[in-house]
Amino acid sequence: MKRRLSILPWPRPKGGPRQTVCHFCDSLHDSSPIPEGTAARCLRCGATLYQNRPASLVRATAFSLSALVLMVVVHSFPFLTMHAGSDHTTLNPIASAAALIDQGSTLVGISVAIFTVFAPLILAGGLVYVCAPLLFGHAAPGARLVARWMHRTEPWNMIEVFLLGVLVSMMKLSKTAELEFGPGFWAFAALMICMAAAIAGIDRNELWDRLEVAKS
Amino acid sequence: MTPPRAIHRAIASCHTCGLASPVSLGKCPRCHSTLHLRKSNSIQRTLAFLIAASALYIPANILPIMVVAEFGDVLASTILEGVAIFWRKGDYPIALVIFIASILIPVLKIIALFWLCAAASGKVHPSPAALGRVYWITELVGRWSMVDVFVVAVLVALVQLGALMTITPGPAALAFAGVVVFTMFAAMSFDPRLLWDRLESLEKTKTSGNPPAP
Repeated sequence: MKRRLSILPWPRPKGGPRQTVCHFCDSLHDSSPIPEGTAARCLRCGATLYQNRPASLVRATAFSLSALVLMVVVHSFPFLTMHAGSDHTTLNPIASAAALIDQGSTLVGISVAIFTVFAPLILAGGLVYVCAPLLFGHAAPGARLVARWMHRTEPWNMIEVFLLGVLVSMMKLSKTAELEFGPGFWAFAALMICMAAAIAGIDRNELWDRLEVAKS
Repeated sequence: MTPPRAIHRAIASCHTCGLASPVSLGKCPRCHSTLHLRKSNSIQRTLAFLIAASALYIPANILPIMVVAEFGDVLASTILEGVAIFWRKGDYPIALVIFIASILIPVLKIIALFWLCAAASGKVHPSPAALGRVYWITELVGRWSMVDVFVVAVLVALVQLGALMTITPGPAALAFAGVVVFTMFAAMSFDPRLLWDRLESLEKTKTSGNPPAP
């Protein structure tokens, strides 16, 4: 029963045929169900209207759940260790934000913390909270509010940009000191992939259609 | 056959959940977000964020982004000097990455959004298909400019070796983070549908002799 629920196709909410508006050119389309793995495109400008992602709920839940686990690993294991002589310092996203705040760049430190820790946490946590109960046809209490916050947070998740920043800094330091990757770094790289897969797992229209028909 | 445009039927698409419903409802019946036919004050807001970003772009490039103290020598370097250091060392790919992410992308993004605002308000001809692609790219690449701020964050956290070598953030870090955040806000406030509105009104005035199509 559970297994069958999880692969329920994209439900069509009651209330007759729905319409979709292209967010690029404002064209009005009658939205019809499309097969899994395909996308509906705007007739005027060609922008994607909505996509029916395969196994959307399962994928979104699985990847965001693994993202949450990886976040724990990132923050509890060494990320990057620098050896210079007898001294060594370690790094992780929280520590880099804290170092900036310590050095008087409070605003920059807070934004670094938001972009690399809090935004990904809200996104992954929100996806688990919303999608996992939907697997069983239920909407968690406050799921609509959480989903709204997820959409708002999405552009501020900059995990992949931070990873590029770490790589560039390594090149800067490679001649000065010896650098050692810890498990935290590899977890962070995996976290980047999981976050991208979780966000790409489910289409916004499908998520809200499912929330609409779900029992709350 | 091209589909009708939602604005003529007073149908608004919810910017949160994507549901199309009559704008007269005020709030989206599904997710309770406020409904708008267009993002409110789109051009003014975009321009305001753009002006703030352009103003911050100057200190972001003139002031030092980080200060390196090594064996008592203090060296403050700007973003461009950071690129030059990599270039002189022969690390051309990284010099290019930093140059593109920190200098080229913000400038191109600011120019592109000014251009989009001009097109949407009728100062230049709107060609929505091409400009829409420009807008899409602008939204996509904007975040990557943040890489320099993250480099500073990483270096400041790692390089705290007392008298040997310490790195502290410079004032340009805040200015530069401001440039990136403000251009992201500017891109979010811009409404690409305005370009199509403008094109439509242009076409209507061109064919004003003919009766409007039903």
